[in-house]
Amino acid sequence: MMHEQGKKILDANAKVELAIGDSSAAVNEAGAAQISIGNKTHSHATRELGSASLPAVHVRSEDCIEIRRLYRFFGETKAVEDVSFTVKRGHVFGYIGPNGAGKTTSMRILATLDLPSYGDSFIDGLSCVNDPELVRRRLGFMPDSFGTYRDVNCREYLDFFARAYGVTGAERNRRLSWVLGFTGTEGMASKPIRGLSKGMKQRLCLGRALIHDPSVLILDEPAAGLDPRARIDLRRMIRDLADQGKTILISSHILTELAEMCDSVGIIEQGKLLATGSVEEIQDQQVEKRELAIRVLERSNEAAAVLQALEHVGEIIIDGELLRFEFAGDMREQAELLALLFARGFPVAECTSHRQSLEDVFLQVTEGLVQ
Amino acid sequence: MAAVAPPGNSAQQQETVDSVIGVARSMERLDAWCEKWGDWCNPILVKETRQALKSRQFVITFSLLLFAALSWTIIGTFSLMPAIYDTPSAPRMMLGYYFVLALPMLLVVPLAAYRSLEGEIDDGTLELLSITALSPKQIVLGKLASAMLQMLLYFVVLFPCVSYAYTLRGVDFPTTVILLGMLVIAGVMMTIVALFFAPLSRSRSGRVMMLLVVIMLLVGAEWLLGLAAFEMITNERSLLGWEDLVLVLFGVVLLVVPALGYLLLTLAAAQLTPVIENRSTKIRVSLMVVNATVVACVTLGSTDPFDGMELLLVGGTGLMLLWVLASSMLVAESAVLTPRVQRDLPQSFMARATFTWLAPGPATGLVFSTINVWLLAGIAVGAAFYYGRDGNAFALRDQKMMIQFVFAISSYLTCFLLLVYGLMRVLRRKNNPRVEVGFAALVVVAVFAALGPYGIELYLNDFLDFPYSAWQATNWVWTLYNIGDGVDCYAVIEAMGTVGVVGVLGIMFWNPALVRPRRTATPERVREEREKMDRDKMDRDKMDRDKMDRDKMDRVPSSSA
Repeated sequence: MMHEQGKKILDANAKVELAIGDSSAAVNEAGAAQISIGNKTHSHATRELGSASLPAVHVRSEDCIEIRRLYRFFGETKAVEDVSFTVKRGHVFGYIGPNGAGKTTSMRILATLDLPSYGDSFIDGLSCVNDPELVRRRLGFMPDSFGTYRDVNCREYLDFFARAYGVTGAERNRRLSWVLGFTGTEGMASKPIRGLSKGMKQRLCLGRALIHDPSVLILDEPAAGLDPRARIDLRRMIRDLADQGKTILISSHILTELAEMCDSVGIIEQGKLLATGSVEEIQDQQVEKRELAIRVLERSNEAAAVLQALEHVGEIIIDGELLRFEFAGDMREQAELLALLFARGFPVAECTSHRQSLEDVFLQVTEGLVQ
Repeated sequence: MAAVAPPGNSAQQQETVDSVIGVARSMERLDAWCEKWGDWCNPILVKETRQALKSRQFVITFSLLLFAALSWTIIGTFSLMPAIYDTPSAPRMMLGYYFVLALPMLLVVPLAAYRSLEGEIDDGTLELLSITALSPKQIVLGKLASAMLQMLLYFVVLFPCVSYAYTLRGVDFPTTVILLGMLVIAGVMMTIVALFFAPLSRSRSGRVMMLLVVIMLLVGAEWLLGLAAFEMITNERSLLGWEDLVLVLFGVVLLVVPALGYLLLTLAAAQLTPVIENRSTKIRVSLMVVNATVVACVTLGSTDPFDGMELLLVGGTGLMLLWVLASSMLVAESAVLTPRVQRDLPQSFMARATFTWLAPGPATGLVFSTINVWLLAGIAVGAAFYYGRDGNAFALRDQKMMIQFVFAISSYLTCFLLLVYGLMRVLRRKNNPRVEVGFAALVVVAVFAALGPYGIELYLNDFLDFPYSAWQATNWVWTLYNIGDGVDCYAVIEAMGTVGVVGVLGIMFWNPALVRPRRTATPERVREEREKMDRDKMDRDKMDRDKMDRDKMDRVPSSSA
């Protein structure tokens, strides 16, 4: 009888979860309740979400960051919808998506600043929902906005946050010196924050996130509004931090930069994670067609006719000696195609294959979804 | 070179070197001590003090205060010449200094504290703070401590002026102490009030309204305190005239005011606390502390039946208003207990029997409120019997009236809370309303309970007057009016009280899991992490102790040399 009643209560509580209210309280609490219930409760939430509920216990693994079936609703708007991914220790993970895709929302949940409607996120196996104070000790967060104080200089600002994170005594001074040095803000240490340039503010903001020596960094659009030199410096700093063993989750609009510094990326659009993996993996997954350009020194029209008859070959554009076309086959088929041209006696001078960039992949993945 | 120098000169040089080293060592120790003290201090206090001392607002206020104090010293003294030499002239001077000091203490500092906390929310720095190791209570206490430090600075500036005024005779020492004490306590309390209002609303229009409310409260406090100070100084109403109430006054100042301050600070911190945390238990505890302090003050006043009665009425009315507000919000809490809260629930039989009512949730809130309301009602009735035992403070009629009044309010409140509880459960099915909605629901229930039966009966009587009957049992306004009129309403009170108490007991037994939630286990990973944190802390403390020991050892040879 008691068990039945308990189930009823939990069932009723879980209903709140799907009320899709705009207040975080209900959704969070319900989400948290769901976690505690485990997969034994036949709650509305579980039924409607239609798949396995979350495990009741934390699982330790090699993954430093884990987002597990994350949902976040703001009223009727689904800001994040069933997002799951993991980031390995010491890796840089790029979070790609247009404005309003749900990047910041999911990062804020990871940073324990917001609560999910359903699901959970973990840092080192510790729940961001249930144990935020343990998560915060190992987490540095750099939001897209820069919170400043009046009448405070850079050193005082960093010193205050060091104290707030519980860094004391000589350790605090050591960390302060290191952060000022690492971010290149030593020269600005005694200058008031309000007078700093955007680039310097970003550096200081990164310094603030690093002041307590966190093992995980969450950087929301750190390169936004920076000039090329500042971007290069930032990229260098992020790579240095990753080399020091820190796990970094970074979001950006500048996809080429992410491709250079990230070990893996995730593409999110309209709250849904569309693809995850290393840049190469995603490219391989997404690349259905490559553009081939073959220079045939003689009889290019004839060569075009031969190629056109082959499978996987798209419409051929003849540009003098150059034949350009989309090719959907794999590398072996590409080799066979070239062998055929040689066998037929065409003087093939060069063959180039253009692989899609991360930007192309992003556009391809989000095709039809971008508003 | 040292070998060729004259021996006397060398000793002198050595002495100078030793003294310089000694001073340097002392400075080093002082620096280390300051550093350690800074580490121990609330980081918000350190930051706010740095900020405040550099801020334009502080510089302007401080300069104006100095200028005003100096001006009043010169103008006041000259205006009192030559009578100042032979007649008591302190009242006028003291009044001037009081108003100079009251402005920053009661207006500038509380408003700065309000703006500071509001600024943290506006500028997004509160979010940055909330992911640090600082707790919401530390943030609020840091702001308060910073405001108190500023008050201390202003106070120190004015202290010589007040001392000067005291030497002019005319205001006795206790009055001066009470005057200044009153100002300091009011300043601190108004700062707490301002901090309570700062995070209350997050919308722009709401914040403007809150600011207006705070300004009105501060101006009101300034005016009231100014009036009291004027009365005390000019009419020579010193402490010596209030011997009867001195114990009660001290009780109020030392017990009730800190308890109310603690409640407001807890409420302010609760507003900054994430929903996942347990915000309710601390509020419930602080409500109980307020109860206890008010009861203690009323007990202190019981030596004089007439003063005791007055205190009972004032204290009782205050607690009634507090519990109407608090209980309606407690029953409007969310019923969902997060795993985090469930981990900290009481476990043993005794703890579950006693402390469960402090756990968050509407059902526990309902039981907690009902117990407190009826406990207070019992105390009030006991006090009414005590004061009316010889008929000296109370006529028997008044005694009966008061008892009925207390029981009627408790009964109606219990019934209405039951309805609010039900209403909020329905509301929470599809929404997640704030707890303040509970108070709105209570108002709606109370209005309908009074106007509903009245309107129906009025309509049935063709809008003609009709007498009070059992149909008007829920009409609390009419029932209370009748009690005041000397009409015996015991039957209605009994009926309402029975319905309320049975309803609460019904909820307790109907849904035990909701009223008595069970503790859940803490995950292994979290326990490991906490143990590691404890170990790290112990290691750090040990390292600090070792360092201190090493420093001591280093100092011993130098001092012996």
